[in-house]
Amino acid sequence: MWPYFKKMTPLGKPLTEAQIKKSEESVRQIREVERDLAQRIEKVKNAGLPAEQLNARGEWTVYQRLEYLVDPGTWCPLHTLFDPMDEESGTTGVVDGIGKISGKWAVIIGFDNKVWAGAWVAGQAENILRVTDLAKRLHVPLVWLVNCSGVKLPEQEKVYANRRGNGTPFYRHAELEKLGIPVLAGIWGTNPAGGGYQGISPTYLIAHKNANIAVGGGGIVSGMSPKGYFDEEGAEQIIEATRKFKEAPPGRVEIHYGATGFFREVYDTEEGVLDALKKHMSEMPAYNPRFFRVAEPAEPRFPPEEIERIVPFNQKASYSFEEVLARLTDNSEHMEFRPDYGPEVYTGLAKVDGYLVGIIGNRQGFMPKGYPEYAPYPGIGGKLYRQGLIKMNEFVTLCGRDRIPIIWFQDTTGIDVGDYAEKAELLALGQALIYSIEQTDIPMMLVVLRKGTAAAHYIMGGPNANNHNAFTLGTPTTEIYVMHGETAAVATYARRLVKEKDAGRPLQPIIDKMNELARHYYEKSRPAYCAKMGFVDEIVSFADIRKYMVAFTGCVYQNPKSFCPHHQMILPRVIKG
Amino acid sequence: MATEITAPMAGKIIEVKVKVGDSVQEDDELFTLEAMKMEMPIVAPAAGTVKEIKVEAGDAVEGDQVLAILE
Repeated sequence: MWPYFKKMTPLGKPLTEAQIKKSEESVRQIREVERDLAQRIEKVKNAGLPAEQLNARGEWTVYQRLEYLVDPGTWCPLHTLFDPMDEESGTTGVVDGIGKISGKWAVIIGFDNKVWAGAWVAGQAENILRVTDLAKRLHVPLVWLVNCSGVKLPEQEKVYANRRGNGTPFYRHAELEKLGIPVLAGIWGTNPAGGGYQGISPTYLIAHKNANIAVGGGGIVSGMSPKGYFDEEGAEQIIEATRKFKEAPPGRVEIHYGATGFFREVYDTEEGVLDALKKHMSEMPAYNPRFFRVAEPAEPRFPPEEIERIVPFNQKASYSFEEVLARLTDNSEHMEFRPDYGPEVYTGLAKVDGYLVGIIGNRQGFMPKGYPEYAPYPGIGGKLYRQGLIKMNEFVTLCGRDRIPIIWFQDTTGIDVGDYAEKAELLALGQALIYSIEQTDIPMMLVVLRKGTAAAHYIMGGPNANNHNAFTLGTPTTEIYVMHGETAAVATYARRLVKEKDAGRPLQPIIDKMNELARHYYEKSRPAYCAKMGFVDEIVSFADIRKYMVAFTGCVYQNPKSFCPHHQMILPRVIKG
Repeated sequence: MATEITAPMAGKIIEVKVKVGDSVQEDDELFTLEAMKMEMPIVAPAAGTVKEIKVEAGDAVEGDQVLAILE
């Protein structure tokens, strides 16, 4: 099959001086967003105790552990700003991402031991669910850095119970193990109750000498108040019991290494635990990349850094999707699927790090005259019409058949609306695309380049594709909302305006409300908000998109659940004709 | 040979990027049209000289309305 893949069609042109000049203001605005995000990220990293305080008592922070554990240059953080329940630390108390350990891809997560000693805090369960989902989607090992003090007790009602509460990860670990996905755990510190289950639920436990895991910690073992209330005498008893268990908390190494053997290995140092994780990762099964690559890896001919000069900050301005793609794919090459059909959408094959991927993205700007063919009005990029929807359905289905992972790029204002669109069956064709995605059983990644709007955000591989979407990235220009704020203001207040006008009342109060609603939409759709609420799994600079694409494809092809031999693929032949 | 540059759809001209007498290359941006909440460039279909400009920034235009003539 090398004639298909070794040399594909070249894509893209160098930026012109005029383009560079024209993009200056846009780049300035993008950098401003990046500066704001960088400040927020710094705040998250500095949450809780200072690193020096932990280091002074001989402990490393989770960030120091990750630094030591993960192969340099491979770390792709996720959920950095995720804080959907406004936890007082501004974090979910865990740090996670994708990275290589000893040359093999893994999903990695650790408790932030600076924040409430690594407690279960509000929003964390949802974060862990996303991470276990990620390992499941990508079918790669999950590596835990466990250092968990259990529930943040004053807020247990936000943490402990519920269908998606903090008990869920243990079922997810069991699910991963049932699927043949190993969960490795390095364990440090005191891990009582929930922390104990965080410790015991992985597949292989490697402990630091001072670590303990237990059904209940010293605090619980000290007992309840037999009187049903607290007084001086009861307080003295608690003090005595606590002193005893502080000296010897339950579930120490002598119990769970010496007696039960739950800890398979114990090490005296931070490095010892992390080196053991590295050793086990080096021994994990993984295909040699050569087995699935269709060509030698190559960098794009045009640098990814230039994308910030192509995607305008101005949400109304158009650009060439192909020029974006040319800065992301190996050697800036591609094989376009049905270029003569559904012009509002790009579909095609490309290489990322030598692996074959399917690419789908919205095109911008005017559509050719006469398109969409079913309506008397002209088509415009970012919208989805009948042909584009049919084309995406076909492409996704063929990618599923050929076991090719898909990377989606959204910049969409939605699906065409009105009776012409209804007669053209767009409602059903949108849902058909969701069906097409669902039946593929292949991992997908999404980049919301700019707008993720209306049902189009769902159907184009959106985060709602729970069984397929591994993760979603946003960029400094991302905006996600059901519709533009101005459109929402009109939809909400148009009738009220008519009513006020007919009644002879002043319109200004309604106009003020409309402006307020539009502003509310804007503020609640900005990149930082999208990251905080989990609309996206991380906001990355345009320059870093390819790094995440490389991580995604590397993961997908490391331990695939199924594959199609290159010489039995149909999609490349359909493209070639 | 004169070429008419027309609006691909109804909208508002928000920027005129050339003036009469300018030489333009194929794909050079002549106007920016705002329609359906999007700004889109209207480009020269071929190299030529701007002979006439029939609109100015802020004008509302209809689909197929002639905006300029290239020679």
